[in-house]
Amino acid sequence: MVNHWIIVPVVLPALTAVLLLFLPRESVVSRRVVSVASVLALAGISVALWGMAQQGPQAYAVGDWPAPFGIVVVLDRLSALMLLAASAIALAAVLYAIIGWDRRGAHFHTLFHFQLLGINGAFLTGDIFNLFVFFEVLLIASYGLVLHGGGAWRLKSGFQYAAVNLIASTIFLFAVGLLYGITGTLNMADLAVRVAALPAQDHALLRVGALLLFVVFAVKCALVPFHWWLPSAYSAGAAPATALFAVLTKVGAYAIIRMHTLVFAGDAAGISGTLQDLLVPAAAVTLVAGAIGVLGSRSMLQLASYSTVASMGTLLLAAAGLGAEQISAALYYLLHSCLIGAALFLLVDLVAAGRGRVADRLLPEAPVPQALMLGGLFFLCGMAMVGMPPLSGFVGKVAILDGLRGTDDAVLAWAVILGTGVLLLVGFVRAGSTVFWKAGSAVSRSDTARPAARRAGLVVAALVAGTAVLSALGGAVLEATDATAAELLDRELYIRAVAPAASSPES
Amino acid sequence: MEMLVASAIGILTGAGVYLVLRRRTLTVVVGLTLLSYGVNLFLFAMGRLTIDRPPVLTDGGAPYSDPLPQALVLTAIVISFGMTALVVVLALRGFLDTGTDDSAIREADMVRGFGPRHLGTEARKD
Amino acid sequence: MYVPLVVLIPTLGAVLPALAGRQGRAGCAAVAATASLAALTVLLSVAPAVMRGEPVGFHVPWIPQIGLALSFFVDGLGLFFAALILIMGVLVIVYGRYYLAPSDPPGRFFASLLLFQGAMLGIVLSDNIILMLVFWELTSLSSFLLIGYWNHLAESRQGARMALAITGGGGLALFAGVLLLGGIAGTYELSEIIGRADAVQSSPLFGPALALILLGAFTKSAQFPFHFWLPHAMAAPTPVSAYLHSATMVKAGIFLLARLWPVFGETEAWFLTVAPIGLATMLVGAWIAIFKDDLKAVLAYSTVSHLGLITMLLGFGTKMAAVAAVLHILNHALFKAALFMSAGIVDHETGTRSMARLGGLRRAMPVTAALAVTAAAAMAGVPLLNGFVSKEMMLESASHAVYAGQAWLVPLLATLGALFSVAYSARLAGMVFFGEERHPVDAHPHDPPAGMWLPVAVLVVPAIVLGLWPALAQPLVEVVAAAVVGGDLPEFQLALWHGLTPALGMSVAALLGGVAILVVYSPIDRIRIALPRPEAKAIFDASVRGGAAASQALVRTLQNEDLTRYALVIMLATVALGVFGFLTGPHGAGTRAMLEPSLPAVVGWGVLAVACGIAVVRHRDRLLLLLVTAVAGLVVSLTFLHFSAPDLALTQISVEVVTTILLLLALNLLPKTTPRETGAPLRMAHAGLAGASGLGAGLLAFAVLTRDYVPISDYHLAQARPGGGGTNVVNVILVDFRGYDTFGEIIVLGIAALVIFALLELSAKARRAAGWAARAPSYRTGSAHPIMLVVTTRLLLPLVLTAGVYIFLRGHNLPGGGFIAGIVVGIAFIMQYVASGYAWADERFHFDPQRMIAAGVLLAGLTGVGSWAFGHPFLTSTHGHVHIPLIGDVELASVLLFDLGVFLVVVGTVLLALATIAAVESIGDRRPADDRPAAGERRPIPARPVRIEEEERV
Repeated sequence: MVNHWIIVPVVLPALTAVLLLFLPRESVVSRRVVSVASVLALAGISVALWGMAQQGPQAYAVGDWPAPFGIVVVLDRLSALMLLAASAIALAAVLYAIIGWDRRGAHFHTLFHFQLLGINGAFLTGDIFNLFVFFEVLLIASYGLVLHGGGAWRLKSGFQYAAVNLIASTIFLFAVGLLYGITGTLNMADLAVRVAALPAQDHALLRVGALLLFVVFAVKCALVPFHWWLPSAYSAGAAPATALFAVLTKVGAYAIIRMHTLVFAGDAAGISGTLQDLLVPAAAVTLVAGAIGVLGSRSMLQLASYSTVASMGTLLLAAAGLGAEQISAALYYLLHSCLIGAALFLLVDLVAAGRGRVADRLLPEAPVPQALMLGGLFFLCGMAMVGMPPLSGFVGKVAILDGLRGTDDAVLAWAVILGTGVLLLVGFVRAGSTVFWKAGSAVSRSDTARPAARRAGLVVAALVAGTAVLSALGGAVLEATDATAAELLDRELYIRAVAPAASSPES
Repeated sequence: MEMLVASAIGILTGAGVYLVLRRRTLTVVVGLTLLSYGVNLFLFAMGRLTIDRPPVLTDGGAPYSDPLPQALVLTAIVISFGMTALVVVLALRGFLDTGTDDSAIREADMVRGFGPRHLGTEARKD
Repeated sequence: MYVPLVVLIPTLGAVLPALAGRQGRAGCAAVAATASLAALTVLLSVAPAVMRGEPVGFHVPWIPQIGLALSFFVDGLGLFFAALILIMGVLVIVYGRYYLAPSDPPGRFFASLLLFQGAMLGIVLSDNIILMLVFWELTSLSSFLLIGYWNHLAESRQGARMALAITGGGGLALFAGVLLLGGIAGTYELSEIIGRADAVQSSPLFGPALALILLGAFTKSAQFPFHFWLPHAMAAPTPVSAYLHSATMVKAGIFLLARLWPVFGETEAWFLTVAPIGLATMLVGAWIAIFKDDLKAVLAYSTVSHLGLITMLLGFGTKMAAVAAVLHILNHALFKAALFMSAGIVDHETGTRSMARLGGLRRAMPVTAALAVTAAAAMAGVPLLNGFVSKEMMLESASHAVYAGQAWLVPLLATLGALFSVAYSARLAGMVFFGEERHPVDAHPHDPPAGMWLPVAVLVVPAIVLGLWPALAQPLVEVVAAAVVGGDLPEFQLALWHGLTPALGMSVAALLGGVAILVVYSPIDRIRIALPRPEAKAIFDASVRGGAAASQALVRTLQNEDLTRYALVIMLATVALGVFGFLTGPHGAGTRAMLEPSLPAVVGWGVLAVACGIAVVRHRDRLLLLLVTAVAGLVVSLTFLHFSAPDLALTQISVEVVTTILLLLALNLLPKTTPRETGAPLRMAHAGLAGASGLGAGLLAFAVLTRDYVPISDYHLAQARPGGGGTNVVNVILVDFRGYDTFGEIIVLGIAALVIFALLELSAKARRAAGWAARAPSYRTGSAHPIMLVVTTRLLLPLVLTAGVYIFLRGHNLPGGGFIAGIVVGIAFIMQYVASGYAWADERFHFDPQRMIAAGVLLAGLTGVGSWAFGHPFLTSTHGHVHIPLIGDVELASVLLFDLGVFLVVVGTVLLALATIAAVESIGDRRPADDRPAAGERRPIPARPVRIEEEERV
């Protein structure tokens, strides 16, 4: 009996997006209903899939062709977890969008669902070239979303964003080609088998392929020195789009974890070691760069963007070790980072909207309407971002520091994570007190006191509440991530699920 | 022959990289196009080189050239076509709006609206 | 069992004042006080057991993976502090109800106060040290909110920021320390860690753990050199200062020292660090306090000094010193809070806190004066008051302390500290309440309502009682001190008179010396002012501001919004990584037999090389650039053809055509040449990188081309006909084996088309810009339609369409297929636009490309979903034979439907992409007069402020 649910996270958004194209241009309401309903359904399905993933990895052979010859879609705990995160953030983003952003340009919901399709496809696929295809889908959709709302800034930064990612895509193709050229396969599980059996004389090429792939994913997760696109694109992008982008950076992190626990696991050709040697310093620098950016930010958008960079640094610093504890902690932090990143970008949008011409700049000029609500939310977001208890940022950091305990890089990692904590703290405090205190809180102005603003506030509040839940139920969540990490490190499970008789070079 | 193809890939890639490093959007786009030519050729070459053995089944036609890379390249070509088209128009629109096709962002361009529901002409239907 | 309630009631109760905000000060204060009292009752219910020496505990796991548990326990120390916190809390709340002005939002105030209270209780009652850490940071945060309560005042904001930066930062150090400690001890439960003191002390990580924990404690308790934040925190409303910054929060650090005393207390490292820091703090704080004019500033620095005193006592590491510390914590809490409240009253009544403007208030406000002076005397350590007893014990312990082998050092300095405290206490009392009456003229000071002075009295009375009969405190101090040292105490008697001890002499000296200082006050002050005094706040502010500015500059220089640099760095890093990866792994040259170079291949190579060379050298002539690019593309497609990939050749060439048309159309609106912008050196650098990348790519390709491999594609060749029902294996792979890729691919195309469409639905301004550009002299097409071209294209249309259908149908077996067919048909239509002009074409072709794309994706998707009905996975195919006249025997597979979807998407995309650009250009021709830009009009560039009307367009 084939479990068709596995492919639904890809099919559903595709059909939704198309259906939206058929809806008459005028009927804004019907679009919103369809869009939200679809995301809700997706969220439900993701929950169900997480449940199914508990029986271990299971493969879905698209086109009914046996692996490794056809393309397989694989559901395991990791992909299910990522789907959950994606759909949760998507729900918040779409709910925020229907308050008004979606009417400020063509095809918002269509692009939104195509983006989801790309993200989900990337999380689910078990084929490396297919991964490339879905990367392209989510990228081109994200170009559209970055441009949503128009204006010179979005056009220019959109071009830069696209150009950088096209370079990355080219590198991706080089890498995929190289891997096929030496292993003769594209299926990840099969790759894992063949890579392990690869003769030493091919190791140099294999390493090149692996590192080129790493570059591609590093660009996605804004690892220094590949991070350039993020601040610019995230600052220009429309709020609901950037909220969804909180997941986009995680796709890169996901891909790194997947590749290096499956295909290049077991230090094949010394790749795991090399990865750690590269990733630890790079992630540390990323974290520092993010913290510096936060401290030196001139606008709330910069603050949000660079804190995203910083959180990616933290995440990758944790993941670099590829040990069970580290991966588990990294995954927990990933969930936290998704929630808080989205929340922060939406919040900034709300605050800036109320400040008229000053917009999001960190100047004490325009008072913030509803300063108590927005200020409170900003306070909480800041706490979570900086890693102040009791929100999930703190739990995540404890888990990460715990996980790094005793590794070779423990001292460096601890020093960087805790040291940057101070920078982040000061940065957020400065920003907050400038915007919410120095400017003085004004009486709510009619235009922002509207129910629209209140609903928008609720969405942000929900995301913040999410981080609270994440830490309140921290035990359960960490159990889940522990199980996920354990499953990843036993890659035989995955390989057996995909290709019961994985073709080896001899066959 | 292998040398020729390999060096051709190198030439295309090199030229592409150089043009991508120019300041003007259109030049960058062309650079990306050349890069895509290069990488497509590379991907194709990963199926090794065969002459007069198209993977179209005929009686006694075997052996055939490796069809898989060809299929991959085809997909890649199509995707890069879509990408190029989009980026060209993006560059064009950027020029039309800002009066310059410099790829760098000027401070004056860094202007945007905020808020879920904007004051003003939000009534425009998409 | 009830222990958590003590913490939970205030914490959760914090919402009540927030809700009761409407009820005003009285309402909020009432609910707040109730919450505190409720917590106090719960606490007292467990007090008897604790006093009997039976700690009460509570444990519920929270996040076991990180060792975080909801575990609390009440022993002597915890009980003592908790009671202190709650009793002080109630008094402060009552006091605050009268202190707050009607204009101050009471809800926020009392809510934060309760939140703080809960957090503080959490610190002192937590058994799990990570849980304690949680509450620790919460106190920092809530104190931030309380200090910044009057956020319209600059000093409030700065004070709040500094306090949070220092204590929060210290919290991070503590964070690390706690994790280390827990790691060493193998548990995060305090009650167990204490039992494993030896293990901890013998661990190599003992040093770092101790240092980090002390850092946390010292910052919190404002120990030198972190003392400077506390006085600036006094910008907070007086009740807050009294509560947080003298009685409770600043004691958190002290509490931590006391808590961990059994673990660290008797080690050498502890004595060598804690004692001198405490001593230094005591001296510095006291010395500064002598010369402050602001009432609260004096109290703030005296608080710093007394905290130093207690720290020093704990630092001595002797049990008697610990006893003295406990007693002094109690005493200090009593008289210092009383003094803060009195200061608040004076401020409230006279409108100033400047001692220079005050004097002789004992007549105007006798009650306040009596209370304040008594408290001050207690602070000075005057006999018969509680301060005297603990100060005696302090000097007693100090007299035994030998530091750096010098028996005289500590005693002398300790006496000096005591002496200073006498000085500032006397000065404070004397200047404010004695002498001739002075106060701002507009003020009419008199004793406040009982609600304000009663809390003070409630604190002063026990100060006197304990001063007269210290033994009354004996049982409490015993229990608490026992808890601190975690063992039995030496015999001791709290008493007023210990006989003629050295300590007595020292306090006499201190009393006399203190008065003596005041006699020679002004000369000393002159000297002090003459000396350089590092202003800690200035240093702190400067460093923060400097740090922010520096990082801003850094970000600005690195993140310069310049794509060229981003691309450069990224590709440089990529090449570097590639080279690194290659050189660090074993590599063996391939052994695969190579093909002989053919003449066409060599020619093609030459053409390509020349084309690319021109592209690089002459790229500033854009038309030429596009031309040579097209040539390069042509060569690539010929290469595909030459190496037996007809499908690729066809696809490449057709894509080539469309891309070129697209680029040309775009170029019509864009500048025709590029200015030279990069200097020679940088160009060389770029060229170098380009060369390296090219070389890398080439070498990789060569390395692979010359080695053998075992591809999975043999299966595809074998299965194409039986399984896929087609002989063109590439096409079968595309629509069947890897149809899922193609599904994604057409979605990419579709999205591209949608975005392009959205991009070119131009705003009026951009339209004008377009028309403007289209008028460029070099531009002719679009307006003129040569008749020949028109006729041929229109005749060709049906032919091309048929060809398209043919290509489409044969695709599964021979080179061709949906994609190529789609491009061909698309081009056929585009030719009409180009030849006959947009207007003509637009009137004749009535189909919505967007819908066409949607239909295509839908068709492809549904074909895939269809297979579910037969219990097969997504995109499973079936096939059979159909005979179509002329075209012949066709393998009519379900994938044909899928391919039809592809076809539709491609046609739609090509039309949309090209037609929309054509539309933009056509505007240039038929530009309405009113739309004409005024002479010399420059294309407006959006400038701040935000221009909404630009925003709304895509």
